[in-house]
Amino acid sequence: MDIQLSADDLAFQEEVKAFLAENAYPAGEDYNKWRLDWFDKAGEKGGWDIPKWPIEFGGPGWSPTQHYIWEKETAVAATPWDMPFGLSMLAPILMGYGNEQQQQRFLPDIRARKVNWCQGYSEPGAGSDLASLKTKAELSEDGTYYTVNGTKIWTTMAHIADWIFCLTRTDDSGIKQQGITFLLFPMKQDGIEVKPIITLGGTHSVNMVHINDIKVPVENRIGEEDKGWTYAKGLLQHERTGLAGISRSLVALENLKAQASTVTRGNGTLMDDPAFRGKLAELEVDLLAVEFTELRSLASASTGSEPGPESSILKLKGTEIQQRIQKLTVEAGGIYSAAWGAKPVGHSFARGGMGGYLSSRSYTIYGGASEVQKDVIAKNVLGIKRSSK
Amino acid sequence: MNFDLTEEQQLIQDSVARFVSDNYDLKSRLTLAGSKQGFSDDHWNTMAKLGWLGMPFAEADGGFGGDQIDTMLMMEQFGRGLVLEPFFASVVLGGGALKRSTNADLKTEYLPGVLDGSRKLTLAYAEEQARFDLHDVTTSAREDGENYIVNGQKSMVASAAAADQMVVSVRTGGGQIDEAGITLLLIDTDSEGVSMDNFPTVDGLQASEVTFKDVRVPQSRALTAPGDSFELLRAVANDGILALSAEAVGAMEILYKDTVDYTQEREQFDHPLSAFQVLQHCMVEMFMEYEQCKSMLYRATLETAQQGLGAQRIVHALKHLIGKQGIFIGENAVQLHGGMGVTEELRIGHYFKRLLVIDAQFGNSDYHLQQFAA
Repeated sequence: MDIQLSADDLAFQEEVKAFLAENAYPAGEDYNKWRLDWFDKAGEKGGWDIPKWPIEFGGPGWSPTQHYIWEKETAVAATPWDMPFGLSMLAPILMGYGNEQQQQRFLPDIRARKVNWCQGYSEPGAGSDLASLKTKAELSEDGTYYTVNGTKIWTTMAHIADWIFCLTRTDDSGIKQQGITFLLFPMKQDGIEVKPIITLGGTHSVNMVHINDIKVPVENRIGEEDKGWTYAKGLLQHERTGLAGISRSLVALENLKAQASTVTRGNGTLMDDPAFRGKLAELEVDLLAVEFTELRSLASASTGSEPGPESSILKLKGTEIQQRIQKLTVEAGGIYSAAWGAKPVGHSFARGGMGGYLSSRSYTIYGGASEVQKDVIAKNVLGIKRSSK
Repeated sequence: MNFDLTEEQQLIQDSVARFVSDNYDLKSRLTLAGSKQGFSDDHWNTMAKLGWLGMPFAEADGGFGGDQIDTMLMMEQFGRGLVLEPFFASVVLGGGALKRSTNADLKTEYLPGVLDGSRKLTLAYAEEQARFDLHDVTTSAREDGENYIVNGQKSMVASAAAADQMVVSVRTGGGQIDEAGITLLLIDTDSEGVSMDNFPTVDGLQASEVTFKDVRVPQSRALTAPGDSFELLRAVANDGILALSAEAVGAMEILYKDTVDYTQEREQFDHPLSAFQVLQHCMVEMFMEYEQCKSMLYRATLETAQQGLGAQRIVHALKHLIGKQGIFIGENAVQLHGGMGVTEELRIGHYFKRLLVIDAQFGNSDYHLQQFAA
């Protein structure tokens, strides 16, 4: 056990810092051009545009410590906007279960951020109980294509996505985890209708997607027919650990402290308020602990061993902490957090606080609701065999 | 000991409940909230015609001689529909200040319009540097012959765009945080030098930042003797807290009941969600906290109706509990509705947003716990 950064790690940290400083967004420049250039330059560093991809697919092959340093540094710096669906969710499945032709066809465009993907998992009747999904895929008589019909919901960024990776039902005769097939198809085609869902923060990021009689060639199927659940399950674990957002929470906590110290109250500021300080302190304690839970998880993953029990709590703890930061931001804004117009009112940070808080309520719902996560931990980690309903 | 409603109170409660169920389904409310004015003149006239606007005023002032208990009954029903008409701003706050005024001429001139709905008032008390302290006032009024010259800014003034006059706390003496030296003035919203920045709030209501620049206000517009208004302001704020808490209790009832209904309809893992014990217990907690809030609401309202400012400590306890448990119930209603809970399509999100705003008005949960403990 050793948490000291080695000389090599320190050198790496300096290199990361220098890269991020050199390539910071120059105000006023074309954002999209900068964004794509940024990823190109990160790629030239040796896979810094795809930190989590394995070496054989071009990734940098970093140690857990290097990943930790990267997370920390990119959380403070302004890095370009990125979507996780192709990069972090589909790519590992393609690498693990896709054939070589599929890998060559899809991975380069994902890496270049040229093609946006969305995830077609949840359905109106299949949320927490994802395996009960009903979107139907029927193989043609000549065995060359599937005809797909059904409805997906909570599809993030479906309205800008070029492609979707989608779980479909090819067999409903057995237990529901069997008979699910993993298909890829383009979003911009007749038969696909995307309807926006406006969430409490007043924003549009999720959608309902209606799929009507579209044809998907069998070459777009990942792995075997009826085995899609096995592939997707691995992906869900991936999605869940990626949602903890701990480095970002550390930065958000520091921002919150700075904001609270601008809120006057009597002869002092909100940072002199014992109740508020107490809540900040409790939050910070939890965050310091979960930061090391994540490190333990990273370290065990890098030795190739199965993720330890500690990794199962990351999504639960991480999202709960994100929600608490958002809630305290709303509290810090006081009455000004209620303002919902175009202009900031009162404390400059208060605008957006309420939107952030309301959005954060979904963190303990998506990617597996907290109640379901706890069931999974009870069964798989604690080994509790018979749980009551 | 008796918690039963009188026949009259029961009639009022029923009639408000009917108004809400007839007019305040989610879609109608959203349409109204999205309109320029943000509420309905027709509804306002109905409220006036049915005598609701005159309920908490003395018979001598032309009212029905009701008190905080009557306001509570109405506000609780308003909370069940998230009613948008400015009853709270005009009747509870503005009217509540004016009816306590020692300035008889002012009352005679302005109260009748409040009671018949032809005049709308509001209360401008909040300032940015003050956070939640009512006595932290920098908006100044200096004497100039027969007039005051008012300068300063007031924040988050409820329903100000619709108001004809606002009751404004200004400093006519003392230091920034002294209770003495605060005067309440009735100022026309269209006075020269008054400028308003109007905006929606997250709960679908409207508020304004109001700036006063060399606004001339006759000294005869003072609600009390100069520098003597703080106790009146505190009494109005307490009435405001009681009314908001009643509204919150109405909203909480919708939230927990909608959640109980939804979890019995929605099936996952071949069972209704309500079959899962962890969700059952969560809903039992929501229900218990709702009942506790209701008890505290009754306690604070009845004690205030009897003792006025003597019930201050219970009012603090109430606002603490309402803020904390309102958010607890709202967050869990959303969580148990899953993805549907975070959309604008179901009504629970809108009730949750109202509870969030109520927590921030007249001091949040932490603030009142500290006042209670002090």
